[in-house]
Order: sequence, then structure tokens, then C-alpha cells
Amino acid sequence: MTRNGKQNIGQMVLTLIMIAAALIMIIPLVWMISTSFKTQPEVFAYPVKWLPERPTWEAHRKVWLGALNFVKYYRNSLKIAVLGTVGAITFGSMAAYGFARVQFRGRNLLFGLYLLLMMVPPQILFVPKFIMFDWAGIYNTHWALFLPTMFTIIGVFYMRQHFLTLPKELTEAAIIDGAGHFTMFRKIFLPLAKPTIVTFAILDFTWAWNNYEDALVFLIDEDLYTVPLGLNNFLLEYSIDYPGMMAAATASIIPIVLVFLFGQRYIIEGLVSSSVKG
Amino acid sequence: MKWMKRQQLAGYLFVLPSIIGVTVFFLIPLLFSFGLAFTNWLGPTGRDLRFVGLTNFRRLLFDGIFWKAVRNNVFYLLHVPLSVGVGFLVASGLNRRVFFRNGLRASFFLPYLISAVAIGFSWMLLFHPTQGPINQLLVSLGVRNPPLWLASTKYAMPTVIIIATWQSMGFNMIIFLAVLQEVPRHLKEAAQIDGAKSWQVVRYVTLPYISPITFFLLVIGTMNAFKSFGMIQAVTGGGPVNSTLILPLYVYRTAFRYYEMGYASTIAIMLFVIIFLFTMLQWYGQRRWVYYD
Repeated sequence: MTRNGKQNIGQMVLTLIMIAAALIMIIPLVWMISTSFKTQPEVFAYPVKWLPERPTWEAHRKVWLGALNFVKYYRNSLKIAVLGTVGAITFGSMAAYGFARVQFRGRNLLFGLYLLLMMVPPQILFVPKFIMFDWAGIYNTHWALFLPTMFTIIGVFYMRQHFLTLPKELTEAAIIDGAGHFTMFRKIFLPLAKPTIVTFAILDFTWAWNNYEDALVFLIDEDLYTVPLGLNNFLLEYSIDYPGMMAAATASIIPIVLVFLFGQRYIIEGLVSSSVKG
Repeated sequence: MKWMKRQQLAGYLFVLPSIIGVTVFFLIPLLFSFGLAFTNWLGPTGRDLRFVGLTNFRRLLFDGIFWKAVRNNVFYLLHVPLSVGVGFLVASGLNRRVFFRNGLRASFFLPYLISAVAIGFSWMLLFHPTQGPINQLLVSLGVRNPPLWLASTKYAMPTVIIIATWQSMGFNMIIFLAVLQEVPRHLKEAAQIDGAKSWQVVRYVTLPYISPITFFLLVIGTMNAFKSFGMIQAVTGGGPVNSTLILPLYVYRTAFRYYEMGYASTIAIMLFVIIFLFTMLQWYGQRRWVYYD
């Protein structure tokens, strides 16, 4: 057999192995969506019916139009995630620029503090934040969720890494021209750093959308619930309604899957360029 | 001189909003919880907050559940090397000549972004002890008493580890994939000319070359393992019989189920200390196996 033929066979075998592995990765998602279109008795039929015999929208109808309506949870989550992301990107990119590109006294000390705070487990902040939010009158409001989201430490860290990789001459030339840092940030850096910023907008949005623990701790009223809390609530109310549970789970991942499909290239390249290089 | 001053000012203005937010939402609460750890505070309804000195720390020493949570958390760490290892294998596969590379890469990465609660529920059904497809498959393959997975004290933690590996692997894979593309060709070719077999090339060229990244991924993974909350809370809530109770869950439970907020802060502080110790340990361990050029 020719060398080329051998190579092709190797490539086929490897592709098959990788496809098998990739199937394991997406089976829980496929299972989720497929179950959401089943009737209760069909859920655990064996061998598994990946395509339900008589697909039904019943479970989805229950999720979207039932007593626990997901439209409300969606609105709440969307509001928190959008406000939080806009803040995180604005304040985060400014701080990242300051730490990466401006010389000022105490810079390394302050940035060291950020690195230290990255180690802090969020659970250590539960009780003190609970007390502080209670004092400030924002406990059991959406403010308790989106305000902290607006200040991302990890985002500052990654965006700074990226700003460091942009050529130094860029800043120097513009400074000599007399452009202030604010002009430079707006006119030169933001356009250049657009891919990174889009990446972090997507990631921040994803994290805020999936944030379950803060919602669990800081929200009481069912009217204020976000999607992950609503999902949990669904389980408490209808514990063995498996198609319903999976329809609720499917509803909760739709925006993330959409964002991923459209922003895949950004997410992957952005993550790589800010953690590997620089 | 004037320019220097303006430079200073600009620097402060850029970082100021972030510093204020981080101070209010991270630093002050952190310091606050150090104070709370020495009180007997029982939440907003329990009025009298008293300083009780080291009482909480003494109690911690004899709190069997706390030590169980520490042991569980260390056991749970097992998913970190697993996830880094599998991430490396998958990245190595994708780094060769393979069809559908982009599609494959996307399917390996997607779980990393999915809500832990949603995916936890899906796994709960897959691992259902009597009717779940995984156990039905095992039974049909002739396994007499398949594990009860999340419902058994013995298998709940391994099951949680499987799910955590599955979810965190994509991130490691993406990072490895990028670094593997940077391993210089001439190093590998030189080794091959010297007669190295392909596994030897991996062992003596690729692995040392990428070791700083492996180290980075292990450190980040370990930190995250001590912060995990959502998935375990969703699939087991720490049970059965505390067999999957890890420290973050114990903090939450103590504070918001038992309303022992002072004591919860003590546990949280210990959690922070443990993360710090593990990071230091890894930092000192790295010189034995990490190569910087």
C-alpha cells in the first residue's frame, strides 16, 4: 500500500475514535433534548429511543405556559446577565488597560491583590454579602446579583494578558503625538482588542446566565427567580416529571448554545490567546 | 514632570471603577468574614452577636462533618488530573490529521459552557439507579448488581467525579490544542532521527515542552475544585449521608440551612486557607517536573 493510502486509513481510524469520544461528550445533551419530547413511560424505555416514537410538545408547553413560567425567569436572567456583562466589560477593559499600559505608583501591588482575590472561594463571601446587602436594602433584589457581576477579577486578569501582547510602539507613538490615554484607549485599543472583548462579553454572559449559587443565596421571591433557580424549583415541584424536567433544562441552555454557535471562533481563540500567549 | 503626573492620574482613573467594585464586593466581605469567624452570629433573627474568640475554631477540630467534607473535597480533586489528562489526549488526537476537526472540537468544548444545574439533571436521569440507560446497558451486558451511582454512599463521589471531569475537560483540551501547535517541529524531528519511538517523543519532547501549561491548568483546576458548588448541589445536595458533601456545600448549608453564620464563616476561612496551602504545595512541587526555557 502506498504511503498516502496508509495515511488516509490512519486518518479515518483516528476520526472514528474521535467521533466516538465526541459522542460521549454530547450524549447528555442529546438525552436531555430527546427526553423533553417524550411521554413519561417512554423515558426509560430500553434500548433507548433517541428519537421518540410520537414526539410531543407537552413538556415544553408546561415549561413555558405552566404555573412556573419560564418567560418570567428568562426575563430576570436576561436582565441580570446583560447589565452584569455590560458593566464587567466596561470596567474590566478599563482596568485591564490601566494595569497593562499605564505606569502608576502601586500598580503591581494592586494587581497582586487581584491575583490573591482570584483564590478566594465565592462561598467565603456568602455570609458577609448577605449582611451587607441586607443593610443596603438590596437583599432579595436583582441588584444583589448584577452589581457584583459588573466587577470581574478574572476578566481583568485575562484582558490584561491580552493588552500586554499588543505592540508597545502603539502606545509610545501615540503618547508622543500628545494623545491622552483616554483617546488612545478609545480610538486604538478598543478597536484592536475587539475579539478579546467579545470573548469576555460572551463568557461573562454565560457565567452570569448560569450563576446558580448567588441566586440561591440572595433571592427569595419566586417572582425574582432566575433560570437556574426556576429550573431547581421545577424539580422540587414536579420531582418525577422527567420530560418536564428535561424540557426545563433544555429551555435553560438554549441561549448559551446559540451564543456558542455564533461566537465559537471568538471564545476559543480568545481563551487561548489570553491564557497561553503573553 | 507634569507629563508623569498626568500619567499617574490616568492610571488611577482607569483602574478606579474596578478597584471600587472589587473593594466593595470582594475585599470588604472577605475581611468582614474574618471578623465573623470569631462570633456566634446566628443570622438576622438571632440578635445578640458576641465575640467568642477561638470557640468556633475549637469546635471545627472536633466537627466530624467538617473533616469528612475536607476528605471528600480532596477525593473530589481527583477529577482535576483526570480532566487535564483526558484533555491532553483529546487535544493530541485533534492535533493530528483528522476529518471534521472543527466540529469535533466544538462538541468537546460545549459542555464547559453549559449550566451545571441543567446538565446535572440530565446526568441524574442517565445514572438513575434502577431504570437509567447506563444501568440498563450494564445489566444487558450481564452485570448482576450494577452500582447505584448517585444513590449509593460508595459510588456517589466517583459519579460526581465523572460528571466534573466531563464538564471541565473542554477547557483543558482547548488550551492544550493551542500549545501543541507551538511545539517546534525540529525538536520532534531531531528526536525521531535519534531513533526515538513515537511515545518517547511524547514523553521526552512534547510533555516537557508543554509542562508550564499543564502546571497552569492543574493549579486553576485545583482552585476551581475547592469552589465547586452548583453541579453537586443539583445532583446530590451533598448526600447520600454526606458522601458528596464538599466544603463549599458545607459552608452554604451551615449558613443558610442551620443559620449558624458565625460558624459558617469559620469553615469558609479554613476553606480559603486550604486553597492557599494547595496552591503553595503545587508551586513548590513544580520545580520537580516543570521546565521553563
